[in-house]
Amino acid sequence: MPSLKDLKTRINSVKSTQKITSAMKMVAAAKLRRAQEAAEQGRPYADRMRQVMANLVTKSHGVDGPALLVGNGKSDIHLLVVMSADRGLCGGFNGSITRQTRSEVSLLRSEGKTVKLLMVGRKSADALRRELGEVYLDQLEGIQGTSVSFADAVSIGKIIRNGFEAGEFDVCTVIYNKFVSAITQEVTLARLIPAEVGPGEAASANEASTVNYDYEPEEDELLANLLPRNISTQLFNALLESSASELAARMTAMDNATRNAGDLIDRLTLVYNRSRQATITKELIEIISGAEAV
Amino acid sequence: MAKTTQLELVTPARVMVQKAVEMVVAPGVEGLFGVLPRHAPLLAELARGVIEVHENGKIVNRYMIDGGFADVTPEAVTILAERAEDLDAADAADLNTRADAAPEVEADFLRAVAAAL
Repeated sequence: MPSLKDLKTRINSVKSTQKITSAMKMVAAAKLRRAQEAAEQGRPYADRMRQVMANLVTKSHGVDGPALLVGNGKSDIHLLVVMSADRGLCGGFNGSITRQTRSEVSLLRSEGKTVKLLMVGRKSADALRRELGEVYLDQLEGIQGTSVSFADAVSIGKIIRNGFEAGEFDVCTVIYNKFVSAITQEVTLARLIPAEVGPGEAASANEASTVNYDYEPEEDELLANLLPRNISTQLFNALLESSASELAARMTAMDNATRNAGDLIDRLTLVYNRSRQATITKELIEIISGAEAV
Repeated sequence: MAKTTQLELVTPARVMVQKAVEMVVAPGVEGLFGVLPRHAPLLAELARGVIEVHENGKIVNRYMIDGGFADVTPEAVTILAERAEDLDAADAADLNTRADAAPEVEADFLRAVAAAL
């Protein structure tokens, strides 16, 4: 049976934890609103870009198109771009990314492929370092929260393009949390190289391309400029989604933590009051039985 | 016959413009081109320059972009630009302060916008 003093200390410590978690929840909620807006406003650009790409792809390049578009004909070495958070305390956010990455890696390895990783964000990088650290291509930090800029996406895109041109990998896929709602985030895989065109988009583009597009400048030149931008755009989109998801996950996790702390405080207070009552009763009995004995 | 074409100017951060217009003049890499309703489908790369929106034969809006792509269909013009500024809302002093704080590539564009005012 813990003493009254112990209980009091315990309650106070849970109370101060609750203050911290509820402050973190509030901060995450405020940031989330901005991040969510950014993610939603960033979607049209990425969507249009995909549409333009779909238009170009359905012009049927076969195997002779630019390597960034149709790949280099091989799929031996896979690069996974993993987007996690730099900080923890955001529920299953980092865990689900890490888990997905691990299963993806073992799947690719069982198919006899070589895997390389480009880690964006510290948490997954730390979690996987011991088992997969030797295949890290690079690790980037500090691209998080509400400060994601297009320039960040361009610089990651540059790393990927340089690696691809140097023949370090053949296929590039991004793994990130897609923001669905404040309580749901979806781990998503998006292929960057060769460029992925969804079946729906390809179909709608097919309709559009029955009329022939004019190109200015020539198609090849246009593609050479468009493809790098497409990669940056898709990365930027993934970064925005990922940071909105992170904040949403943190908000939910901190909300739960605050609620749990509240429950714990209630329970501890009950125990505290009971034992206080018991002590008082015990003391009364002692006094009364003492008085009777006289 | 349609009298307007749907103009959309989209940057990674947001949809900047979305409205029906009579004519758009865009800075293609091979020279300026105008787009009227029912223009033939065209995919063009754009250079740094000014997009002019015409209404009743007059320029009503001007936007400066730092290169990009225009996807023209008979019904719509979609312009994808990494950076864009509304020249009517921009203010040279403000642009220069932003340019000083921005990374080099962006600063360069902002100064160019300030110069074009």
